Amino acid sequence: MTAANIDPVVADFGELVQPHRVHRRIYTDPAIFEAEMTRVFAASWCYVGHESEIPDPGDYRTTTLGLRPVLMTRSRDGDVNVLLNRCAHRGTVLAAESSGCAKRFVCPYHGWTYTPDGQLVAIPFPSDHPVEDYSTLSLGRLATATYRGFVFATLNADPEPLDCWLGEAVEAFDIIIDRHPGGELAVMGSPQLLEFAGNWKLSWDNAADGLHATFAHHSYNTLGSTVDVETVLARDPGSTPMVSKALRNGHMVVDQRPGIPQGPWATMRDVPFREPLESALVDAGATELLDLATGSMVNLSLFPNLIFVGNQLLVVEPVAVDRTRLNLWLTSAPGAPPEIDLLRLRVDEDFVNFGTPDDLDMFERVQRGLSVPEMEWIDMSRGLPDDRATDGTIRGPITSEAPQRRYLAHYAGLMTAPAATRAR
Amino acid sequence: MTVAAADVPGPGPSGSAAADAPAAVLARYEELAELLSGMDGRPLADPDLSATAAAALAHEARLLDAGRFEDWLDGWTDDAVLWVPLSDRAHPGNDQSLLLDDHRRLAERIEWRCDPSAWGQQPPSRTTRVVGSVEAWDGPRGVVTRSTVLIDEHRHNRHQQLAAYQIHELVGDDLRRRTKILVVPALATGVRNPSFLL
Repeated sequence: MTAANIDPVVADFGELVQPHRVHRRIYTDPAIFEAEMTRVFAASWCYVGHESEIPDPGDYRTTTLGLRPVLMTRSRDGDVNVLLNRCAHRGTVLAAESSGCAKRFVCPYHGWTYTPDGQLVAIPFPSDHPVEDYSTLSLGRLATATYRGFVFATLNADPEPLDCWLGEAVEAFDIIIDRHPGGELAVMGSPQLLEFAGNWKLSWDNAADGLHATFAHHSYNTLGSTVDVETVLARDPGSTPMVSKALRNGHMVVDQRPGIPQGPWATMRDVPFREPLESALVDAGATELLDLATGSMVNLSLFPNLIFVGNQLLVVEPVAVDRTRLNLWLTSAPGAPPEIDLLRLRVDEDFVNFGTPDDLDMFERVQRGLSVPEMEWIDMSRGLPDDRATDGTIRGPITSEAPQRRYLAHYAGLMTAPAATRAR
Repeated sequence: MTVAAADVPGPGPSGSAAADAPAAVLARYEELAELLSGMDGRPLADPDLSATAAAALAHEARLLDAGRFEDWLDGWTDDAVLWVPLSDRAHPGNDQSLLLDDHRRLAERIEWRCDPSAWGQQPPSRTTRVVGSVEAWDGPRGVVTRSTVLIDEHRHNRHQQLAAYQIHELVGDDLRRRTKILVVPALATGVRNPSFLL
């Protein structure tokens, strides 16, 4: 089941993605978008969900891999499966709900029945169906691997091991997980879903952009300033000791911790019900846990679809060349006192309500601007020349555009030399 | 995480105020969850009370559509909560919301809406709210209302319409807003820049 007939000459990506500038077409060309759904999203490891979302056998959650409908399930043996959510008969999407629990997946169209690990176990009225070996009609499987509860999957016919693909990103990944008591992190049930009329890569360009906060988020930085809260975003971002890192495989890190020596909680606005929940933790002698109510201050982006920001997982879902859906999942700290999660619920609303709308507006403005054919190029030269360390990581001030340059170079590689994809 | 007011231990031997504080938060959340989950089974509404409430709801819609946010803010009690859940089965202590504001954050929200550099609302959305099917009942803390609302939004070159329903708790002779729950089904599938929602 290898994908065939991929046109290898969608575009010359060496021309469209140059070291200091990129062409508007990669954001506006529907043919490029269509190719990305296979060459980037099907051929890369993509985040599909967290094990805590499917704790029991039969639990499932639906999602997408690019545009492909995907099903993450827990089978009776406890294994996590990632399957194409597509009946092997006529192609009907099997599970329509976002999540649930099912011993069997029964196709609503003609009654073909599958186990949670994708095996076909029944066809109605089988006497007039010539198939003898049901195993040839299983649901399509994706290569699946987990890192500390995070489930990744790919249709790449020969993927590199997940650990290798993560590479140096593991360091930030562990920081984000290990701050939770017992290293225990879970994902809450329903995501915030925000759409914008723009290409999915605009959210990627933004994820490690340390300069935009000073301008696009000016209102966020000054909101509530009468109570004398100076958020770190309001300072000169280029002169802070914060660090950005451009990693292999398009991954990116912005480490804000060096710029916030007093700890993130000290910079947090007075969110609803902060005082009673905070004083309960202080009285219980758990003051040091308050930082857990905010994010890790380490923004990690795992190309192409998972961005850690605050305590949320921002999952980038492409919809069309000029349409993207952001899925914002909130993580919880099951090993911490309940006040931490109660605070998290209100803390992560803060940026989503007073920061994210500005990002969404910028993405839509950029997409509209990129519709101008006479202006072809996007400048991405800030911070050149890149200072590459011996391990290949490029470090710089958070205003450097090295992370954007590096993920786009990785992207150009994927688009130029497409990997074979197949369902297993 | 699952929490409910009943799970929270009462004051310890010292009976400290801090031990009560999370319980008070959870009790408020429980009020919100019960208002939301208990709405569908309510009996026929009181016609006179519904007519009175309809005037208050129309007034609120007019202020919001006119951008008179300071006047709108004046119509809330000090213990106000505006809650926009992501589904009609949500709990404010267990599930993410689009927003859950107390009076302090409502005031910040109005400050943000009026900030000329808050690009998410500059230029501002122009909205028209169509409020209908107003039902009202006497509740333990005031008048409880349920109504439908169609919110039509224009901004930049875009136009979107969101159908929703809203639950209000209106208290005192002047029917001040103590609670408002705005349920927008489209939030479960994705909405463009919802920062105009109030």
